Amino acid sequence: MTKSACCGPAFWTSAVNNQQVLREWFDPEKTPTVGRTPDYRFSLANERTFLAWIRTGLALIAGGLACAQFLPPLPITFLREGLAIALLLLGSVVALRAVDHWARTERAMRLGEELPGSKFPAILAMVVALGALLLIITVLINAAKE
Amino acid sequence: MDDAAARTADHGAAAERTRLAWRRTALSAAAVALLALRPAITHPAHAGRWIAAALIFLGWAVMVAIAYRRARGLTSIPPRPARRTVPAFALLALAFALLGGLVIAL
Repeated sequence: MTKSACCGPAFWTSAVNNQQVLREWFDPEKTPTVGRTPDYRFSLANERTFLAWIRTGLALIAGGLACAQFLPPLPITFLREGLAIALLLLGSVVALRAVDHWARTERAMRLGEELPGSKFPAILAMVVALGALLLIITVLINAAKE
Repeated sequence: MDDAAARTADHGAAAERTRLAWRRTALSAAAVALLALRPAITHPAHAGRWIAAALIFLGWAVMVAIAYRRARGLTSIPPRPARRTVPAFALLALAFALLGGLVIAL
C-alpha cells in the first residue's frame, strides 16, 4: 500500500472544499492522484452506475415534459405546471448527484476505502411515491366531481 | 502484476457493457429531445420554442459525440477509465432540464 493511500481519509476530511470537489468532478484521476488505479472493471462498473443514474434523471425530465404536454388541466390551478417543473428539478438534482457520487466512489476505490453510502435513493423513492400519491388524489377528486 | 492484469481476458465483457450503456443513455436523451420538440411542431409560429428545441438537439448531438469518443477510449486494452466525459455528460443532462423548463414556460 502506498503512503498516500494510508493517509487518504484524513486528507479528504480536512481539505474538502467546493473548489476541490469541482476539480474532483472534472478530473478524478489527475487531481490529486491519490492511492492507486483500481481494476479497470471496477471503474467501468462505477461509470455504468453513473449512466444508469443519468438515465433516471433523463426519465424524470421526460416525465416533466410529458406532464406539461399531455396531462389535462388539473382541479388546482398550475398543479400541472408545478408538477412538470418539480420533475425537471428532480431530474437535474439526480444528474448532479450522479457525478458527485461517481467522483466520490472513484476516489474511495483509489484509496481502498469503503464505498460511499447514500441516503439519496431512499429520499428519491419517497419523493416519487409522494408525487404519485398526490396525482392519485387529484385524479380521484376529478372523478368525484363528475 | 499490472501487465498480467492487463492481459487477463475480460470475461464479463465490461468494456462492451459500458459502451452499450453509453449508447442506451444517448437514446434516452433522444427521447427527451423529441418530447421537447413537440410543442414547437404543434405551434409552428412560436419562434422561442423552435430555438429551445434547436438548443436541446444541439446538446443531444454533443452527447452522442461524447458517447462515441468514450467508446473509442473503451477499445484500448485495458480500457481507459472515464474522466471528463462523465461530468460533461451530466452537465448536458442538466442543460436538458433547464431547456425543458424553458419549453414549458414559453
